[in-house]
Amino acid sequence: MSKIAVKVDDLTVAYNYKPVLWDIDLEIPEGVLMAIVGPNGAGKSTLIKSILGILNPIAGSITIYGKSYAKQRSLVAYVPQKGSVDWDFPTTALDVVMMGTYGGLGWIKRPGQKEKKAALEALEKVGMLPFKNRQISQLSGGQQQRIFLARALVQDASIYFMDEPFQGVDATTEIAIINILKELRKASKTVVVVHHDLQTVPEYFDWVTFLNVKKIATGPVKDIFNDDNLTKTYGINYKVSIQK
Amino acid sequence: MSSAQIEIQLIASLVAIACAIPGTFLVLRKMAMISDAISHSILPGIVLGFFITQDLNSPLLIFLAALTGIVTVVLVEQIQKTGLVKEDTAIGLVFPALFSIGVILIAKNANDVHLDVDAVLLGELAFAPFDRMLLFGVDAGPKSLWIIGTILIITLILLFMFFKELKLSTFDSGLAASLGFSPVVVHYGLMTVSSVTTVGAFDAVGAILVVALMVAPAAAAYLLTSDLKKMLLLAILFGIFSAISGYWVAHWLDASIAGSITSMLGVLFLVVYLFAPNKGLIAVIYREKQQRIEVSLLTFLLHLKNHVELEERHVNHLNEHINWQNLRSKIVLDLALKNNMIEIDNNIVSLTEKGDLFTSQAIDYIITNEDTQIEDMKADFFLFRG
Repeated sequence: MSKIAVKVDDLTVAYNYKPVLWDIDLEIPEGVLMAIVGPNGAGKSTLIKSILGILNPIAGSITIYGKSYAKQRSLVAYVPQKGSVDWDFPTTALDVVMMGTYGGLGWIKRPGQKEKKAALEALEKVGMLPFKNRQISQLSGGQQQRIFLARALVQDASIYFMDEPFQGVDATTEIAIINILKELRKASKTVVVVHHDLQTVPEYFDWVTFLNVKKIATGPVKDIFNDDNLTKTYGINYKVSIQK
Repeated sequence: MSSAQIEIQLIASLVAIACAIPGTFLVLRKMAMISDAISHSILPGIVLGFFITQDLNSPLLIFLAALTGIVTVVLVEQIQKTGLVKEDTAIGLVFPALFSIGVILIAKNANDVHLDVDAVLLGELAFAPFDRMLLFGVDAGPKSLWIIGTILIITLILLFMFFKELKLSTFDSGLAASLGFSPVVVHYGLMTVSSVTTVGAFDAVGAILVVALMVAPAAAAYLLTSDLKKMLLLAILFGIFSAISGYWVAHWLDASIAGSITSMLGVLFLVVYLFAPNKGLIAVIYREKQQRIEVSLLTFLLHLKNHVELEERHVNHLNEHINWQNLRSKIVLDLALKNNMIEIDNNIVSLTEKGDLFTSQAIDYIITNEDTQIEDMKADFFLFRG
């Protein structure tokens, strides 16, 4: 058994006293490519945001390699949902990617040449170097998603959390993202992705977590990605054709 | 120019700069209305502070009044958090309540307090030079100048120190939180600066102008640039411009300085709104018109690509086949000719090689929505600029 990268114990999160996550226990082994699936309102984004300390849970504990998130920030990178920011914000693609370096800099210190170089390399990896000076509102949805991905890559983390990176992207971007995911796995990074398209789960991921307010199941895709768990997560008689 | 005139313009300009900086971030955070709330609800703070200190320029008074501003923000957020009302309603509930307490306090004590509601709303910039700062018995300029100067210097220092944090938490508060830059701390830092600036500017320019100076220059700058640093700089320049031009308009019209500065801000925003190169009204209307024509062009080219029959491609029958009016047909035909996309031989229109390639690429883009292949077309056609 490999090391546990992320451990979630008895996590309960509520909005206005209504639980959106209930008593979640979850272990994410190091080096897996994990999809988190579940219907709308299942608490998938909430789970990620709680692990990252963006939301305050009402109960439970979360550790990253055995320590609290606050101590392990530098090990973790985050790709928020594309729709969570205002793309009319006056800034360029390069500048957004540079934001990924802010965590390493800490308060007050400004990014310099080293940070810029890292950002340019990350832009190159996602095929967005030619657009580095473009205003972010002038990018297509797929290009914006790739900018977000580059921003996470520049953090050079061990664990990556991505909130629906495939949402509304074109084919080029989808391929770019998959290639990055594969590269991250090759480098033994841990990647956790909130994912919507059940059809592609077996193709893209090796681990899966079924979530619907409570945790339904978690484990290797080949063992647990079946109609039984899908039905438990999505409601009665939910079937998809799964190529095994 | 008399020294009093120079002092007034200097005070107005410093106030404008001090307001434009937090104002830029308020506008980007879509929180412009919170400056309205703060500017009104600091009134009870000012009145209570005046009871205690008996000095409108005392630092304690500024501190107390700024505290009322923070209280406003907290109250608005608490009411909003109940989920019963939206943010604008919460703002509308909080600041009139606090403002009215201030109005009653002034009215009840009107005899011994030298504050009145008119002065609070519109300020008394013209009187600012009369209240002098004495350092070791020597005249060191108007007190307002010292107050707003101090506030401005502190604001600038904070801006230079925390520019990165402000930018990040304004653009993406989720990432800011996950990287350990508490968005709550940055938020209340910005609210504190806004409140202190409002109090400092309040005495000179009044509650309404403070709001205008925070919102209008930033909103105008937003329409002109896509770079945050340039936006800040432009907002500052617009603020200074309206402060000085407003002063002279007031001088010529013999009208209120605060009112004239606010009017100049309105005029300035209107001009930018109309004529801004990309986001301005005229540019937008022009772009939409061009896009309509380009869609027509594409439809026309596709028609040519799909039909080899001569009668479908005859100049005189084109409008019948495509069901367009003559004028539209002529505009499209001219545009296609200008771009060397068609050639007309014996009144029969056919695609050139360039036109054929363009049509294939454009259709491909529309179907696949892949951006890469139309990058070089963006320069010539509005249609592909998203």
